[in-house]
Amino acid sequence: MRRLLPLLLTTGFRLAVWCLLTADLSRLNLMIGLVVALLLPRAHSRPLPLRALLRALGRSLLAVPQAYLEALRLIFGHEPVEAEISESATEGSIPLLVFLDVFRITLTPFTIVLGLEDGGRRYRIHAMKPGPRHGGQTP
Amino acid sequence: MTLASLADHASLLLLGAGLLFWFWGTWPLLESRTYLSKLHALSVADTLGSTLMLLGLLLRIPGQWPLLVLALVALILWNTIFGYVLANCWLDSRRPIPPEPKP
Repeated sequence: MRRLLPLLLTTGFRLAVWCLLTADLSRLNLMIGLVVALLLPRAHSRPLPLRALLRALGRSLLAVPQAYLEALRLIFGHEPVEAEISESATEGSIPLLVFLDVFRITLTPFTIVLGLEDGGRRYRIHAMKPGPRHGGQTP
Repeated sequence: MTLASLADHASLLLLGAGLLFWFWGTWPLLESRTYLSKLHALSVADTLGSTLMLLGLLLRIPGQWPLLVLALVALILWNTIFGYVLANCWLDSRRPIPPEPKP
């Protein structure tokens, strides 16, 4: 299952894009889409743990509403302050999971991934958050 | 209020909100700010603002939903990953060039 999952995922994704592009669910069109999805070249894939993938997908979807909240805080917040932080990667060796992590972090307006460091074990992140209120008790 | 007019109003609201996000995020590009802070603002404008607009269009022309959904997914993925690519290029350009070995 772990070995078959990348093949199923890529084929399913390509078939879904094909169906959306053609907007036609007839049997012939589905067959053509399946053939195209299988014939297109594929990257060499590694076994994919299903649980980690589902968790990463869920976190990426949750990032969308969070991105809007952060956008509103940036728009209505005080003058933003910038900082560079670093976050450990959940699964540094699997390209799809790294992609989902980078997507989740970069989608939200507060944070952008600058790159991977430490041999892919940590993400270097640039953060921009609304700063403290002017005239407040800032240290 | 009928469902159609409700969808119409909601779509106008989404389009307007998207336009506001666009202006808020595009303005910093013209100011003298750091490259990365412009990139943060651009993610508000480009990704989130355009997404709101596409959702508004989805309510307005529901017949075209396959293409609009495709555009939505492509837009969110491409914009976000392109933001990462730009940030990564900036990081590379900041790295000091190692001195060439002397013969």
